Amino acid sequence: MQKSFIIKRILYAFFIFLIVMTLNFFIPRIGVSDPAERYYPPQGNMTEIEYEIIKQVTREQYGFDVSTVQQFINYVDGLLHGDLGTSFQPGNPKVSHLIAERLPWTLVLSVTNLIISLFIGLIIGTIAAWKRGRWQDTTLLNLSTISTALPAFFIALILSFYLGFEKELFPAYTNPNMVSQFDWSWESIKVVMYNAALPIISMSIGGIIGYGQGTRNAVIAVTNEDFILTARAKGLSRNQVIFKHTLRNAMLPIVTSLGMSISGLIGGAVIIEQIFNWNGMGTLFLNANNTNDYPLMMGVMLFMSAFAIVANLVTELCYSLLDPRVTVGERR
Amino acid sequence: MTKKTLLSIMTLLLFISLGACTGNEYERRGDTSNTLYVGAVAATFPTSFMPWLSRDGIAPTVSSMLYNTLFSYDEDTGNYVESIASEWYYVDPDGNPIITDEGAIDYERLEQIYGSSDKKYLPVKIILNDDVYWSDGTKLTVEDVYYTLDIATNNALSNHAGALAWTSDLQHAYSNGIMTKQGIFTYEHGASEKGYTITEAEKDTVMYIHVNKVLGAITSLFTTILILPKHIWDPIVTPENQLNSKNPTAETIHQYQNPVGCGPYVLDAQKTNAQVIVLNRNPLYHLTDTDGGNLYKVDTIKFMLYQEANVAIYSLLKGHIDVLDSTISSNYMSLFLDRDHIYVSNSEGTFTQSLVLNLNPVATERNDMRNLLSNIDVRRAIALAIDQEELVDKVLNGAGMTVSAGLMSESLVDFYNPESDILRTDLAARLIEANAILDALYPHKDSSGYRILGDKRISFSILGNPGEQEVISRLQVHLQKIGIEVTYKAKGSSPERTFLYNSKFDMTLQGVIFSLSNADIMYRAHFVTMGTSSNYGRLNDPLLNQKIEQMRTTLNLQTKYDLISELQPMIAEEYYKIPLYSSNVLTVARTDRFTGFVTVKGQSIFNSESLQNLEMVG
Repeated sequence: MQKSFIIKRILYAFFIFLIVMTLNFFIPRIGVSDPAERYYPPQGNMTEIEYEIIKQVTREQYGFDVSTVQQFINYVDGLLHGDLGTSFQPGNPKVSHLIAERLPWTLVLSVTNLIISLFIGLIIGTIAAWKRGRWQDTTLLNLSTISTALPAFFIALILSFYLGFEKELFPAYTNPNMVSQFDWSWESIKVVMYNAALPIISMSIGGIIGYGQGTRNAVIAVTNEDFILTARAKGLSRNQVIFKHTLRNAMLPIVTSLGMSISGLIGGAVIIEQIFNWNGMGTLFLNANNTNDYPLMMGVMLFMSAFAIVANLVTELCYSLLDPRVTVGERR
Repeated sequence: MTKKTLLSIMTLLLFISLGACTGNEYERRGDTSNTLYVGAVAATFPTSFMPWLSRDGIAPTVSSMLYNTLFSYDEDTGNYVESIASEWYYVDPDGNPIITDEGAIDYERLEQIYGSSDKKYLPVKIILNDDVYWSDGTKLTVEDVYYTLDIATNNALSNHAGALAWTSDLQHAYSNGIMTKQGIFTYEHGASEKGYTITEAEKDTVMYIHVNKVLGAITSLFTTILILPKHIWDPIVTPENQLNSKNPTAETIHQYQNPVGCGPYVLDAQKTNAQVIVLNRNPLYHLTDTDGGNLYKVDTIKFMLYQEANVAIYSLLKGHIDVLDSTISSNYMSLFLDRDHIYVSNSEGTFTQSLVLNLNPVATERNDMRNLLSNIDVRRAIALAIDQEELVDKVLNGAGMTVSAGLMSESLVDFYNPESDILRTDLAARLIEANAILDALYPHKDSSGYRILGDKRISFSILGNPGEQEVISRLQVHLQKIGIEVTYKAKGSSPERTFLYNSKFDMTLQGVIFSLSNADIMYRAHFVTMGTSSNYGRLNDPLLNQKIEQMRTTLNLQTKYDLISELQPMIAEEYYKIPLYSSNVLTVARTDRFTGFVTVKGQSIFNSESLQNLEMVG
């Protein structure tokens, strides 16, 4: 891989981050001339003078009492010092602390979901491609159509009510003490697995079918290539043809899809987390939005954006490793 | 091999999942202790319990159980009920109570003494109960009350927006951390210099405050401000580390998370987290029932977080919680019918939904349509066409009631004036009258039957949120019957700023609550235009304004009652905030572990009266 290509990609990612950071600062301020009004909306029982005093107090407390440009400078200065800001939540916790608390729990769901979806999706996609036109293939295609029509949150509600409330096979919602009592013991890990089962199943159904469909299409595209025919003609076993030749060459679209999934990992599945009371990044963002806590909204958005930019960068670099033509194309 | 691999993976996953099955841990089912499980629908629970920090969701409920106010307010009687304080009086300049021989406030004397314009404040004497303790065992004294009220007014130390509003009628002020006016007096804080006598024996329990000359001035001071422990906060609060600090120190955070209060419950900080809040009985709580037993009958309260309302409702049905402390839509009622051990509290609401007409927009926002609304006859026709009964029946599924045009609840018998009830007559007759009014003004109609103004159809938009679309669609049908078109327009996320305060709307929906306790604030807020206020449609009626000010500032309670009564027909005849309905508060509880839930007007089933009345089954 060319060094200049890597540097160019990193600079480009940094440029995107600067744009995101700037938009992230200004977008919440659009439509509200005074951020203090968003933090403390007018109350019916206040006179105009009282409300002005209240807004002034709020502006001073959160640094809104200076010009917007100065606020932006302060914001960038804070970011350079690792400070994502202070939440409006009671106790004014640091946004970075709130993210640090929630991030691992979102990763438990999203990473597990990604691994399961990718692994099973690859297998069933390959099978479907290999058995093209037979029941395995048509089943996957039909499931794909159904999963498009059934959003994950709907599946989550059905699973929560049926497997959780009615059959009591898994918890219908997360044990409220799961996070506070977690201590890395096997018992704790089992509790997390048990509580994560339904959210992960809800998320994975769509993921498995999505990756399955993607793999199927990629494998079919490769299966028609001459080199696969050659491999078969050489007398290689079916598994050798699939794993050594077909899948390897079908990886590019799958890696692209994987990269996109990774960049969305920490966004969390807002509604899935909400249904299962799972305290992750999704519910943190939702709560920030519901309570007009826009230092927190800005912090979470920036963190998610930064993660997505880095994930995309890594995906692009991997892509060029898998297919050197990408680097060459860039050089041209 | 792929089949084998797939089968192996599936088996492994199933094994791991089943291996992790540790049994469902729905605590309530096996719990035989005196613990009430309360579900609450929210995004998250607070983890800081400094009551002045927490305004959203369940935070005020929890704060009210950990801390106390000086008094509580009985809406039925209009009396202040003892809590931290036992008695209060307006006093004459010598500090003597202004009371009748029967011990009631002597409003006539009060008016004689303080009615003249040279008297700038009302002095109030407050006597605390002598047996109130903080949960760490420290005695609560007037110095705690002084500290609380003082810091609420001092921006340099508390910087708390809500506290400034609560204390706006207290004549005690700071400027940049320096006291500019003293309006709180205790033994240690200038009572004798001000001429108030407090003996050595009374120094912990007696204090005086100066408030604005409005009878309702004491209400928020007495019933809203939760008193804070001076011994906890005074040593750590500084201008650099304020009570609600942006960058709290470790000690401050510790105090936020381990609150010391004087309420009926204490927080179990060890068992509390962002998804569950555990409160245990405060053994030092000073109030008892009539037999000297615990006032609150439940030993432990566990608040369980549900982020999704359907999951919370199902949890109650399945016995995971005793009470759901969130109102439910009347659409869910059929879920609870014919079920054992389910108690549905269908409590009369205190909140009236009204249709506000923008009758006095700012000059730049005037147009031909909005100008129509300044005509009281047009407003009257609109008000006559609205069918409250249908709204209650169809929008609320019967879980609500119609409201008088004076916007005062009929259940407030001391204040309700039946003369203001001018819109609940026979609907057919009202429609005939409304059409007759409009036929005289705008007789021409288009092909769809809507009236024409110039060459335009008479049409208004109603600003609302998505949840209000049903009521607006009903209003479309109602007003179509008099040839007026109305359409739904989305409010957006900051309607005050974008639409309401700058007059960029025709009509909107607004909730209104009136009672004696808030009359001083709410009549002015809803009917007197003073720049930015919640009087969205900018009604400006000098006579009404004058009457409201008279009601606010009279020191004679009977006169105040009479003026509230007089205001109602005046408000009704403005046809400015037209009543639509008052919806009931629907909440649900299970009765298989606790019985004795009490339905309280305007409150959920999880209320202090229920907690004082619950009994464990068996």
